Amino acid sequence: MAGSALRRLMAEYKQLTMDPPEGIAAGPISEDNFFEWEALIAGPEGTCFEGGVFPARLVFPPDYPLSPPKMKFTCDMFHPNIFADGRVCISILHAPGDDPMGYELSAERWSPVQSVEKILLSVVSMLAEPNDESGANVDAAIMWRERRDEFNRIAQRLVRKTLGLSA
Amino acid sequence: MQLLISSVCMALTSAVIGNAYYQKQQFYPAVVYITKSNASMAVIYIQFFVIVFMFGKLLRKIFLGTLRAAEFEHLLERFWYALTETCLAFTVFRDDFNPRFVALFTVLLFLKSFHWLAEERVDFMERSPVLGWLFHIRVGSLLTMLGILDYVLLMHAYNSTLVRGPTVQLVFGFEYAILLTVIASTAIKYVLHAAEMRTDTPWENKAVFLLYTELVIGLIKVVLYLLFVVIMAKIYALPMFVFRPMFFTIRNFRKALNDVIMSRRAIRNMNTLYPDATPEELRQSDNICIICREDMVNHSKKLPCGHIFHTTCLRSWFQRQQTCPTCRLNILRTPTVNSTAIPRAAEEPANAAAAAAAPTGGQPAAGADGAIINPAATATGVPDAGQPHPNGSAIRNPGVPNFADILAEANNLRNEMSNRAGIPPPPMMPPFMMQPPFGYFPPPLVPPPPMPQDLNTFNEDELRAMEGNLRTHIEERIKMLRNILVMVDSANILMQQYQGIIARLPPPMQVVPPNPDTTAQRVPTAADATAAAAPAQSGAAASAASPLPRAAAADPAAASTPVCDKPSTSRAATTEAKPHEGQVNSVAISSPVANASEKVTIEDLGAEEDINPSTDAASVDVDSEDSSELSELRKRRLKFLEERNKSPTATSDKTD
Repeated sequence: MAGSALRRLMAEYKQLTMDPPEGIAAGPISEDNFFEWEALIAGPEGTCFEGGVFPARLVFPPDYPLSPPKMKFTCDMFHPNIFADGRVCISILHAPGDDPMGYELSAERWSPVQSVEKILLSVVSMLAEPNDESGANVDAAIMWRERRDEFNRIAQRLVRKTLGLSA
Repeated sequence: MQLLISSVCMALTSAVIGNAYYQKQQFYPAVVYITKSNASMAVIYIQFFVIVFMFGKLLRKIFLGTLRAAEFEHLLERFWYALTETCLAFTVFRDDFNPRFVALFTVLLFLKSFHWLAEERVDFMERSPVLGWLFHIRVGSLLTMLGILDYVLLMHAYNSTLVRGPTVQLVFGFEYAILLTVIASTAIKYVLHAAEMRTDTPWENKAVFLLYTELVIGLIKVVLYLLFVVIMAKIYALPMFVFRPMFFTIRNFRKALNDVIMSRRAIRNMNTLYPDATPEELRQSDNICIICREDMVNHSKKLPCGHIFHTTCLRSWFQRQQTCPTCRLNILRTPTVNSTAIPRAAEEPANAAAAAAAPTGGQPAAGADGAIINPAATATGVPDAGQPHPNGSAIRNPGVPNFADILAEANNLRNEMSNRAGIPPPPMMPPFMMQPPFGYFPPPLVPPPPMPQDLNTFNEDELRAMEGNLRTHIEERIKMLRNILVMVDSANILMQQYQGIIARLPPPMQVVPPNPDTTAQRVPTAADATAAAAPAQSGAAASAASPLPRAAAADPAAASTPVCDKPSTSRAATTEAKPHEGQVNSVAISSPVANASEKVTIEDLGAEEDINPSTDAASVDVDSEDSSELSELRKRRLKFLEERNKSPTATSDKTD
C-alpha cells in the first residue's frame, strides 16, 4: 500500500480523467511522479481570455492533502491575481494561518476537502472575474480597473500567443 | 564536460609523473621530486579529488541508480553548505593541517552525501507508485554499509581520542555519531514504509510511529550537538561550523515536539469528545472520507457538526488545525452540552441562590425595556426566592435557566408534539446533518460565548459576598449579572442559529400546533420566564442605542441581531446594570431613556443601598397588576418554545 498522499492523488487523477470538467485537463507529467502535474485551462467564454488554452504546473507537497499544492502558469500571463512569474494567488491555495495579503477569510482557505478540480475551477472563475483587491500583479490590477480596453487587448495577445499564433 | 575534465586531469597527472620519472630515473627520487614541487602536488591533489568523484559516481550507480532532479538539486545545495562548514572547521584546526587531515574531511563529506541521498530515497518511498526488489536490495545494502562505516569510523575516532587525547578526531567522532543517528532514523523509516507497503490496508499508526521516531532522534541529536559545542569550546574555540546544522536540528526537534503534543491532544479529543460513527450513519452519508477519498469501513469519527471522517485522517489534520475540514467549525471552542449539563436535582441552597439571582437577572432588561418584561421577571422570580423549592422535583431549577434544561424541555416537547401530530419522530436522523455544507451557510457559525461558571451552585463564601449592602457586595452582584448576561447572549446566539435552520426546514414541521398543556404548566416557573426574558433582554441590549427599544423588543426575531461582539455587550451590560440600580429611586420606570438619564454611579449606590429590598418588593406589586402584559409575554414565550421545538439542532439532541 502506498502513502496516503499518493493514493489520494491517484484517486483524483482517476476521477479527473473519467469525468473531466469542461475546459480543464490535468494529470501527472510522468506516471513515475504523481506529485507534479500539468494542467491545461481553457479561457472562460465571454471574457477577454476566451479561446486561450493556458498551461500550468501543479506541485504537490508530500503531506498533500493536508497542505495545499503550488500552482504556476508556465505561459506568459497578465492578470491581477497572477504574479509576474506565473504563480497563482488565490485564497484556496493558501494554508489557513498564513495570510500573505492580509484580507482572506479562513473559510476560503485550503482544507483537505478541496481538490485539484476545485482549484482549477477556482482558477477559471478567477480568470473570468479578477479580484483587483488582492493585487498579485498591481499593474494588471490597476489596468483592469481603470483601462479595461487596454487590459483586454493584452489578454487577447496572450491568448493568441498560447495558441501559437503571432501577436 | 566531466569526461573532459577527468581526461585532462589524467593527462596532467601522467605528465607530472612521467616528467619526474624521466628526470630522476628511479622511484624514490621521483617521489621526493613530486612532493617537493608545489605544482606537481597540486596536480596530484586534483587527481585525487577526481578519483574520489568517480568513485562516488560508481557507488551511486550501484546503490541508487539515476538520481531524480530533485534529489540532485538537494544534494548539491547541502553539499555546498557542508563544504563551507568544512572550510570553517579548517580554521579551527589550522595547526595540524596536512594531507591526511584533508583526506579525512573528504571522506566525511563523501559519506555525508550518501547519507543525504539515502534519506531522500527513503522519503520518496511513500510517494512512488511502484517499487521493485532492486530498490529494496539497494536501500538495504546502502543503509547497512553506511551504518557499518559510521560505526567503524566512530570507534576509530573514539580510540584515538582515548589514546592521544583530544585532537581533530573529536570532530570526526562527533560527526559520525550524528551520521549514525541519521542512519538509524532512515532505517526506521524504511522499515515502517516497507511494512506499510506489504499490507493492503493503510497502516493507521504509522504516522504516530514516525512522529515519535523524529522526536527521539531529534532529542539525541540536540544533546549531541550541545555536548560537542561545550567540549569544543572548552578545548579549542567555539565551533562556528556546527552552528548552522545545530540550529536546524533544534528547530526540527521543536517542530517534532510540537507535532507530538498536537497529535496527542487531537487523539485525546477524538477519543473523549467525538463518538464513533455508527454503520447507520455511514450508510446515510456517501461513505467516503473526503480527506483521503477512500471508503470508510471502520474507525471513523463524527464531529459535533455531523461530518464524518477517518480517525487517522482527522488526527493528522487536527495536528495542524482544530477545525472541521468541511465546515470549519472550531471543534475546540464548540461547547459540548454534556460537559455543562451537571445534574443538580433538588439542591436547596443552590435553588435559593439561583432564585435570588433571578430577579436581578431579569431586571436589567426591565430597566431598559420598561414594564413589558418586568412583570414576568420579578413576579415569578421573587416569589421563588421566598419559598425556595416551590415545585418540587418537577422543575429542577426555578432560578436560572440552564441550557441543558431548556434544551431537554424543548426536546421532550418536540417529541410530544410530533406524536400528537401523527408524525413519527424522524428515524434516527443525525441532527447535525441538517446543517448545510460549508459555503452554503451564509453567516459562519458563531461559536457561543464561553459558558460562565455554574450559577446554580454557590458556596457559602459566594453567597456571603453577594448578600449585604456594602459596595463590595453590590460589585459582586454586578459581576453575577454580567455572567448572566453572557449566558443570555449565548442563548440568543443559539436561538439565532435555530432560526436560521428553521427557515430551511420542510413545511410539515411548521404546521405542528403548539402544545397548550405543557406550556401552560411551565409558564409560572422562573426558568421559563428568564428564558423568555433572554431574547427580549438582548433585544434591549441591541437597541440600547436605537430610539425604538420597544419595537425591537416586541419582535424577538428582529431582536436577535448578532451579539457576538463580547466587549460591546459587556459594556451594554454595565450600562444596563446601572439603570437597574437607578430604579431604587423611581419604581415605575417605563422608558429606558429615563433610565439612561438617571445613571447612577457605583459610588452613589453605597448610600442608597438601604432602600433596595423594599423597592424590589414594591416593583413586584406594581408589576403584578399588569396581567395583560403578562399574557402577552406568555404568548411570545409560547412562540419561542414552538420555534425551538421545531429546530432539531445540534445541542438539543445532545441531551438525549
